[in-house]
Amino acid sequence: MAEKLIMLVEDNADDEELTLRALKRSKIANEVAVTRDGSEALEFIFGTGQHEGRDLSRMPTVILLDLKLPKLGGLEVLQRLRADPRTRLIPVVVLTSSSEEEDMLRSYRLGANSYVRKPVEFSTFADAVSQLGLYWMLLNEPPPRF
Amino acid sequence: MAALVYRSVQRKLLRAVLLSTLAALLVAIAAMVAYDLALYHRSWIADLRTQAELLGRSSAPALAFDDARVAQENLNLLRYRQQVRAAAIYSANGRRFASYAIDPAQSFPALPEPDAVRIDGDDLIVFSRIINDREILGTVYLRAEYELYDRLFAYLGIAALLLVVAMAVAFVLSRRLQRAVMQPLLAIANIAREVTEKRNYALRAQKLSEDEIGQLAESFNTMLAEIGRATRDLEASNREAAREVSERRRAEEEVLRLNAELEQRVRERTAQLEYTNGELEAFCYSVSHDLRAPLRAIDGFSQALLEDFPADVPEDARRYLNRIRTSTLRMAQLIEDLLNLSRVSRGELLHQEVDVAEIARQVVQDLRHREPGRNVEVSIWDSMHAHGDSKLLRVALENLIGNSWKFSSKAEHPQIEIGLLRDGSKNTFFVRDNGAGFDMAYANKLFGAFQRLHSVNEFQGTGIGLATVQRIIHRHGGRAWADAKPGKGAVFFFTLESSAAASAGLRVPQSEAA
Repeated sequence: MAEKLIMLVEDNADDEELTLRALKRSKIANEVAVTRDGSEALEFIFGTGQHEGRDLSRMPTVILLDLKLPKLGGLEVLQRLRADPRTRLIPVVVLTSSSEEEDMLRSYRLGANSYVRKPVEFSTFADAVSQLGLYWMLLNEPPPRF
Repeated sequence: MAALVYRSVQRKLLRAVLLSTLAALLVAIAAMVAYDLALYHRSWIADLRTQAELLGRSSAPALAFDDARVAQENLNLLRYRQQVRAAAIYSANGRRFASYAIDPAQSFPALPEPDAVRIDGDDLIVFSRIINDREILGTVYLRAEYELYDRLFAYLGIAALLLVVAMAVAFVLSRRLQRAVMQPLLAIANIAREVTEKRNYALRAQKLSEDEIGQLAESFNTMLAEIGRATRDLEASNREAAREVSERRRAEEEVLRLNAELEQRVRERTAQLEYTNGELEAFCYSVSHDLRAPLRAIDGFSQALLEDFPADVPEDARRYLNRIRTSTLRMAQLIEDLLNLSRVSRGELLHQEVDVAEIARQVVQDLRHREPGRNVEVSIWDSMHAHGDSKLLRVALENLIGNSWKFSSKAEHPQIEIGLLRDGSKNTFFVRDNGAGFDMAYANKLFGAFQRLHSVNEFQGTGIGLATVQRIIHRHGGRAWADAKPGKGAVFFFTLESSAAASAGLRVPQSEAA
């Protein structure tokens, strides 16, 4: 069985690096696939566009999804994922700066498994990312293979 | 109509005149006839009695001497009185001594009767005793015509003729009288009709006589003048009313037009507001997402510097980096508070029954949880209810109680009291502490955003909390104010609409164990 894959959808390079740094510091060595906008994320997951020919048997174990993304927003990505039988069950964690109630509600309504606010303070942020990695990689039982 | 009335009145008058004439005549005739008949009756009887007496006196010697021839001659003298149909003289022993009759077939009573007068059919019969020296010599019998009914019928004939003539005269006279009376009345009636038809109240009845009808004409004219004036007044006021109505209609149309205009303007403003609100939402959303990311990067990479190059960062640089991080976090807090302030201003209020005491208890519990080391005596009154948005009221209480919690941190025995003053329908809640307080000279700055009465070194804070509280209370239609003394603590008041369920609340403070 291939190594578990973490997918990060994040357009901000700083946040990307900080997230990766936090994962690395909490000793999570799983591969992290990073896409920088909504449409690229979908192309990666479904193996289309610039990710044509990707091995589709290897689906991310968890997707860390930012909401504010260029081209296609995070909520739209979530909607597409939930509409497709191949990706309907993939755990999606919304990881965002937004504390807007509306964002939270819509995310959960569209089928997000979790909603985590990125704290400004790095140590807290690192803590959150670390806990997320540990939980979804080690503690959580992923849905049976589809 | 007038002609009919006229005719009817005329007939009534005529009938009245004729009937009264008839009645008067009948009574007069009846009285005269009765008197005459009674007189005739009495005088005729007296006459016959006298005649019988005379016959008796003149025949007494004949009876005494039994000389029937003399008696017969006496009787025969009666032929000069044609009314006497028959006569006889009876002797004392009842024998018919002599007799006389116009009609030879006339029968006589077989025996005489005592002195008597009676009526037998059309005849009057008289018996009269012949007395001489108290000795009854015989009886005279007279039968004479009794003409009472003949006379009566004759009278009736005369009466009938008299009645006819009298009635004819009365009729003619009353017609002339009527003309004199009715003509002025008819003239008034005609004027009345003309007035009714033409609505011309300037017409006047002519006064034809100085009597009741003349007075009637005068009164009628006065009435016409009165009606004319009243009508003119009425018409004037009608015209005034019509003018007012049309003015009112114009005003109403104006109001409708203004309303439509206003509604249009409201729609436009609403659209503008909605657009602005949308912009604001987008702005806040953007702030919420984008403004924090760079801060996170600043903080994150400052920390990375410290962690990844522990040996290369000198002590001063480490201190500066920490300052950068502190400012970053403060900036993040400011953004957070600003977003909160904006959030309480946006969105619909969800009005419902709110248990203020329960929210206060939860807020205090959170504070105790966050700072377990603090020992604060908190008393929250029982049964405090209000009508409002529970989420926003919680934010307000979080800020107020949080302030009390924060500013009482340097007090020896920190105390916080949350209560409710009820005055009629007005509910004034208060949050009291014995903390640092403040100078009331700055009270007007208290609720402004970013206004602080203490330095950050003294007490942490962004200065947005009370602005948020005030905005929440204002949105509920309430008022917020404060009272304080430096070093003696502060009381923050706010009013909220009471709810019906709150009316049964108690005012007994309930101490919560610290």
